[in-house]
Amino acid sequence: MTKTLEIDIRSAEGLKINRRLIKKKKTFAVVKIGEKSRSSDLDDSGGSNPTWNFKSEMPMKGSVQFISIEVFYRTRCGRDKKIGEARIPATDFMGRYSHEGHLNFLSYRLRDEYGDKCGIVNVSIVVKPHSTETTTMFMASSSSSSSETPSIDGYRGRIVTGLPVWRVTT
Amino acid sequence: MGNCLTGDVAGGKQAIGGVQQMPTSTNNAGQNDAVDFFFRSRGQYPLFSQIELSLSASNLIDRDITSKSDPMAVMYLRKKDGNLEEVGRTEVILNSLNPNWIEKITVSFQFETVQTLVFHVFDVDTRYHNVPVKTLKLKEQDYLGEATCVLSEVMTKPNRSMTLNLHGNFGAGVSRKLGTLSVQAEETIASKTVVEMNLRSVNLDNKDLFSKSDPFLRISRLVENSIVVPVCRTEVVDNNLNPIWKPVCLTMQQFGSKDTPLLIECLDFNTSGNHELIGRTEKSVAELERLCQQREAINFVYPSTSHGRNKVLKGQLIVDRFVEKVQYSFLDYISSGFELNFMVAVDFTASNGDPRTPSSLHYNDPSGRLNSYQKAIVEVGEVIQFYDSDRRFPAWGFGGRTADGHVSHAFNLNEALYGDEVVGVEGIMSAYSSALANVALAGPTLFSHVVDKAAHTASQSLSQNSPKYFVLLIITDGVLTDMAGTIDALVRASDLPLSVLIVGVGNTDFTQMEILDADKGRRLESSTGRVATRDIVQFVPMKDVHSGQVSVVQALLEELPGQFLSYVRCRNINPVGAPAI
Repeated sequence: MTKTLEIDIRSAEGLKINRRLIKKKKTFAVVKIGEKSRSSDLDDSGGSNPTWNFKSEMPMKGSVQFISIEVFYRTRCGRDKKIGEARIPATDFMGRYSHEGHLNFLSYRLRDEYGDKCGIVNVSIVVKPHSTETTTMFMASSSSSSSETPSIDGYRGRIVTGLPVWRVTT
Repeated sequence: MGNCLTGDVAGGKQAIGGVQQMPTSTNNAGQNDAVDFFFRSRGQYPLFSQIELSLSASNLIDRDITSKSDPMAVMYLRKKDGNLEEVGRTEVILNSLNPNWIEKITVSFQFETVQTLVFHVFDVDTRYHNVPVKTLKLKEQDYLGEATCVLSEVMTKPNRSMTLNLHGNFGAGVSRKLGTLSVQAEETIASKTVVEMNLRSVNLDNKDLFSKSDPFLRISRLVENSIVVPVCRTEVVDNNLNPIWKPVCLTMQQFGSKDTPLLIECLDFNTSGNHELIGRTEKSVAELERLCQQREAINFVYPSTSHGRNKVLKGQLIVDRFVEKVQYSFLDYISSGFELNFMVAVDFTASNGDPRTPSSLHYNDPSGRLNSYQKAIVEVGEVIQFYDSDRRFPAWGFGGRTADGHVSHAFNLNEALYGDEVVGVEGIMSAYSSALANVALAGPTLFSHVVDKAAHTASQSLSQNSPKYFVLLIITDGVLTDMAGTIDALVRASDLPLSVLIVGVGNTDFTQMEILDADKGRRLESSTGRVATRDIVQFVPMKDVHSGQVSVVQALLEELPGQFLSYVRCRNINPVGAPAI
């Protein structure tokens, strides 16, 4: 089952190279699901606390275990060098605490190729509900009132129909 | 001696005061919505008013070698036992011996007590760029001097401002001139209106020799008697005569009213600290709004003494965007119908001591005296009954061996198989007493199960889209066995509408709890690499409450409004029924 993920890579903090905070390097982030990847624009102010606010929508197959966020910096020659990577397990935004449509704010530790800590990246992820289901947005929209019709909660507005199956042992 | 050579230039260039505010300002020592509401409902009206102090200093001594000091002021209140309690800090100003700090410190002016304020001025040598000022370690900075005054004295002076001489002991018997510190007091107006503007400039003059100017804006408020109070500063844009600054967010407290004239100065940043004035203009917020709507620009003016008339410059200030927003307070949400749901978890581990011995925290005194846990439940219960309207609390115990012989870390206190709720504080007390009789104290002390249970409840309410916020109260004697597991559970729960209040009874060392509380700025990190989205823990040691230093209401509710607001604001959740902005 393929779902659509809306990912917003918001910012990063404390970016380090070789255990030292970076100054004046322009950085960008790349989100990768399986083979597909999307990159953000360069952060102009540079430095170790960049803000990207990069929103993108990507499809995600149900079998995907994790998505990865990589942070690169661009050298003056134009080459891109990797600072670090974070892996987001799919269960963090799908599964027990968050359901479809919930806006998840998540932060992860970035680690470089040697495994050293090199910063924190902040993202927000929404798993978009399927278009065939009624799209009641669970992101608490500002005009929602608490006196909506209750009862069909958890089923996102659909009526559940089913046939009871009885088993009578005689 | 860290950065004594040039100072932290990046830190000096950052914006102060006007960028998107965090829901809880670090210097808000005075007002806590939740606490005030609690007392007012009982007819206890607070006899104080909120005061905001602006500080500036002159002729500070120079402690850095090739540059000037980078001063920061810290304000303390002297308590009854003589100890100093920190109230707030200003920001750090780069390379200045005559700093005019922008960050204000709020304090509640209590009419009937003598409040002694102590100010310490430090030269910051460590990095402070993007570091919250609260987390700077004072021991690592250079001490520049101190001053003491009484708040009522400041308030009764004609301009509500006072100049104090800095003194300090440096060991050498010679008394040096350490400079002066000026304190200006103003009453705060609690207001919800927030104004966000995108400002930019064109055609600024070039003040630098080999490159272009590095302009930044400084916005100040003109108070009566031509006193200028700096309100905020944008970040510095390097090498640009047509700079575009990041959006500036001002609260009504900062700009007074929409018609109060604001002085907007455009300065060229110099690492030496002597910023050159490029131009200035005086506009009120209402005029800036008009400029934006009519797409006009205002020319900067350079004050000229020789002609007697100011020189109108080609440089212009343009307001690209002007948005007026309402920032709702914690009380707005609660009174609109947002429900607070409390859950209680009691520690049944053996470290509390055998309930039959009088020294145990769980001692069942035949004379009827309450033991430490019962006292804590009663005192805390008052507060939570007030805010939880239906008075039904899920109550759990952890660390005890229940009737079926297994040690459970989240068993229902009322020992029912289904349904963990008790009614009212008396319900918690009776469930606690009966559980004590039937449950054997065991161990180890683990919070992760009750935190997971609370997180599960919170996430279920999310799917029902109802405006609820959950608070888990853990009453414990302190020493955690599984710190890593607890941190993992807290990080998993950090994105949910949940706060965890840990109440510590007994006299043990609570340093582990201070780590969980994350007040020093270090975000909790789980073993899977996930970092906590926000700080959801608040720790209250009951021994501080009993020694009279802080009331239980104050201690419990201190961080709750801030944690609540950090959740609703980043998701743009408005109070129930409020118009969408």
